[in-house]
Amino acid sequence: MTRRDLIQKWAVYGLGLVPIWLLDACILPRYPLWGVVPMLLPLAAAAVAVLEGASAGTGFGLAVGLLWELAYPGGFGGLVLYMALAGMAMGAVSQYALSQSFLGCLICAGGALGLLELLRMARMLFINAAGLSELLQVAVPEFLWSLAWTPLVWLLFRAVYNRVGGTKLA
Amino acid sequence: MKDFLRQNGILLLVIALLLSILIGIVSVALGGRADPLSDLVNTVTAPVKGGVSAAADWLESVYGYVFHYGEIEDELAELRAQVGKLQEEVRKGEEAIRENEQLRELLKFQARRRELTTEPAKVTGRSTSNWESTLTLSKGTSAGIEAGDCVITEMGVLVGVVSETGLNWSTVSTVINTDTEMGGIIMRTYSAGVLEGDFALMNQGRLKLNYLPEEAQLVSGDEVLTSGRGEVFPSGLVVGRVEGVFTDPSGQTRYAVVEPSVALDSLIEVFVIKDFEIVE
Repeated sequence: MTRRDLIQKWAVYGLGLVPIWLLDACILPRYPLWGVVPMLLPLAAAAVAVLEGASAGTGFGLAVGLLWELAYPGGFGGLVLYMALAGMAMGAVSQYALSQSFLGCLICAGGALGLLELLRMARMLFINAAGLSELLQVAVPEFLWSLAWTPLVWLLFRAVYNRVGGTKLA
Repeated sequence: MKDFLRQNGILLLVIALLLSILIGIVSVALGGRADPLSDLVNTVTAPVKGGVSAAADWLESVYGYVFHYGEIEDELAELRAQVGKLQEEVRKGEEAIRENEQLRELLKFQARRRELTTEPAKVTGRSTSNWESTLTLSKGTSAGIEAGDCVITEMGVLVGVVSETGLNWSTVSTVINTDTEMGGIIMRTYSAGVLEGDFALMNQGRLKLNYLPEEAQLVSGDEVLTSGRGEVFPSGLVVGRVEGVFTDPSGQTRYAVVEPSVALDSLIEVFVIKDFEIVE
């Protein structure tokens, strides 16, 4: 795969991220389901990591984390490292233990979202912002409603992968 | 493990770690001002967000017109009746103001003044996270908006406080967000307390009026205003109404649960108070 092909491939993946970002940042927050807004960015990182493997998953996770920190309010940097690590882990798990399938993506996305919710809850408990039951009332619906969007995100990035993924441009 | 990391982007992880540290340090150092990278990204994406928001507002208004026309007509009739009543109250109020001014002049009191310098702005984004309650506005430092400025509706109802600013955008932490902390006062009894965001109440769209005096006699429906204590925020901004009064688990202090008067989900335009001068 030439450098040009590589740039073209990741530019298309980047374009695939645009509708996800628009949905996540501009449209879905206007229409919360029972007050819950889903998180789509970890799903995008999971889909690409499952399709492209650990190394590409790390890079795409880094890009997603950077977008999350810079284009959304209240960023403190931690999500860049978290998403890069999650991308690497999800890519490795799909490479060595799971398959490049929707089920693999669902399991990886569930893991990334679940760990993120746990970290957020731990932080809130640490600063004594709320009790465990109150935190669970936010974390569980958010986790489930986010996970429900996995098919859409998977289909989008699967279509991108079918066109430019792996070494197809070579 | 070492080989795995070497083959699978250890360099990318190092870059991610450095970026995380850099963003963290810059965010802390700049306080309410967005870091240059965030500012650049948000400045570029602000027109896109504004466009999507305007399109969604238009579609919602068309939907409302087509499917809720009857409700709109009923609301209009109700509002016309309210306008009639309010006009009558305004006439009475004007008389009272004139009388008040004459009495102040007689007693050599300083004239009451309430001057707010405001900047109108569109709401282009809402909370993207379930862990906080924020709004994104279409104006920022180029319009003179700064972190700490109060944001109100056209009716003078408090929406929140600007928490972060960029060139052509700003983020507002709403009244129900967990970081809210400002002086509040009950209009009927003049009992003062501290308005605070609470995580459990935030998800119900409510906030707390904490540290109420023991003798405070509150009833459901009492109007809560900002007290302006400390002169950081203007006084007299409507926050909401008391929904209920409770004693905290320690049994030491009482607090009121306040339902905000602002409908945060349907806000389209707000006003940022850039400067104020209030003489009571």
